[in-house]
Amino acid sequence: MSAPCRNGRDAAGDMLASGRAAIEQIDRAILRLVAERLQVGEAIARSKHAAGLPVLDPAQEARVVRRAAELAREAALPEEGVRELFWRIITLTRRAEDHAA
Amino acid sequence: MVITTRPGVADQQIDALRERLERCGMRTLAVRRGTRVVVACLDAPGAAENSGDWQEDVNIESVMAWTRPYRLASRDASPGGAHDTTPIRIGSAHDAVVGGNGIVVIAGPCSVEGLEQLRATAHGVRNAGATALRGGALKPRTSPYAFQGMGAEGLELLSLVRQETGLPVVTEVLDTRQVDLVAEHADVLQVGARNMQNYALLAELGRIGRPVLLKRGFAATITELLFAAEHIMTRGNHDVILCERGMRTFESATRFTLDISAIPVLKRETHLPVIVDPSHAAGDAELVPALAWAAIAAGADGLIVEVHARPEQSRSDREQQLSLPAFSAMMRGATTFAAAAGRRLAHGAPTIVEPPLYVSRQAALRRRPVAS
Repeated sequence: MSAPCRNGRDAAGDMLASGRAAIEQIDRAILRLVAERLQVGEAIARSKHAAGLPVLDPAQEARVVRRAAELAREAALPEEGVRELFWRIITLTRRAEDHAA
Repeated sequence: MVITTRPGVADQQIDALRERLERCGMRTLAVRRGTRVVVACLDAPGAAENSGDWQEDVNIESVMAWTRPYRLASRDASPGGAHDTTPIRIGSAHDAVVGGNGIVVIAGPCSVEGLEQLRATAHGVRNAGATALRGGALKPRTSPYAFQGMGAEGLELLSLVRQETGLPVVTEVLDTRQVDLVAEHADVLQVGARNMQNYALLAELGRIGRPVLLKRGFAATITELLFAAEHIMTRGNHDVILCERGMRTFESATRFTLDISAIPVLKRETHLPVIVDPSHAAGDAELVPALAWAAIAAGADGLIVEVHARPEQSRSDREQQLSLPAFSAMMRGATTFAAAAGRRLAHGAPTIVEPPLYVSRQAALRRRPVAS
């Protein structure tokens, strides 16, 4: 009587473990992409600095967030949360750009 | 500045409006109200606000200056109408929502003192209809010689008892360095009255994805409480529950004076849920039920009450903790007062159908196979 119950729990445990492993892989990919984004930001900051252009571009930042919000809506993701996430990413990029410039 | 659009404006036009605002250095938050969208503008520099050209946009119905000094916490940014409260989910149970029609009762011991004490109290309050379990593992005590709590071990016990009872756990965090540890075990992180203006701690809590129960400092005004909530909300965490727990006055018959008027004032000023802690206000178990019922009558969304299976053996705040029979009697009265206020008590935790599967975290870690 207890065997099917235990099997059910084992299956649920396996599913949980594989789900968590998949999430860890996704997190690693997100971090790689964030690192890549910061490097690109730094390169842009250096070239702007060399050309005598202002590094900070609020209009471009607002465009990036708008594009992210549109994509989030198309993908049926929570739009406000995605906007918040992108403002955070932009803050990180700004800091990296400050160091580079 | 709060901008309300005309009915039926397309998403792309809202996007364009927000881009215009954000280009000026503002942050915006949009909330749909029926067919209109309300765009709340934060960090608004004066120049953009005063430019006046927003009025000429055909998609905009009205542009209002913020009417209150706090913003995200204020009624100006309310997702609902003038009297609605933003519901905040505090656990996985269906009815564990603070700010809905159901009045939530969070009950448990002042301090976690051991497994048997916590388990007996948790099952007792659950049977009496409590919605969530409180218990301090990290205790701020006036005297450094008083019991300071069980620390990380106490948090483990809270997790274990949550697993057994299904009750979401509310516990205090004292320090920025403890936020991640407490968030690992708690469904709601509590900021105590003494920490209400610890802005570094509030900022840390703003970045985590857990509801925060913010207690009013015993010498803080309602405005200061709402600014403290704003510190958490501007960092991205909008799930803040406010708690009135008594003020320091010249009266010495009670430990603090419960500010009942704070409840309707907060209801007028903010869309955040408001709960009341009658235990710390009274400092005397005998007075707790009357204060709890008064809070419900005044419109509180919940109560947080100290209960101990054996109050006489408690290691902290012995005189203000209710026994289990006294808590049951308080709950019976609360049901009547809730009905008189046109509300009901939130249902307790769901029925447990299986025995707990819990193994302690340390035990689980010990059993985990070594990665190859």
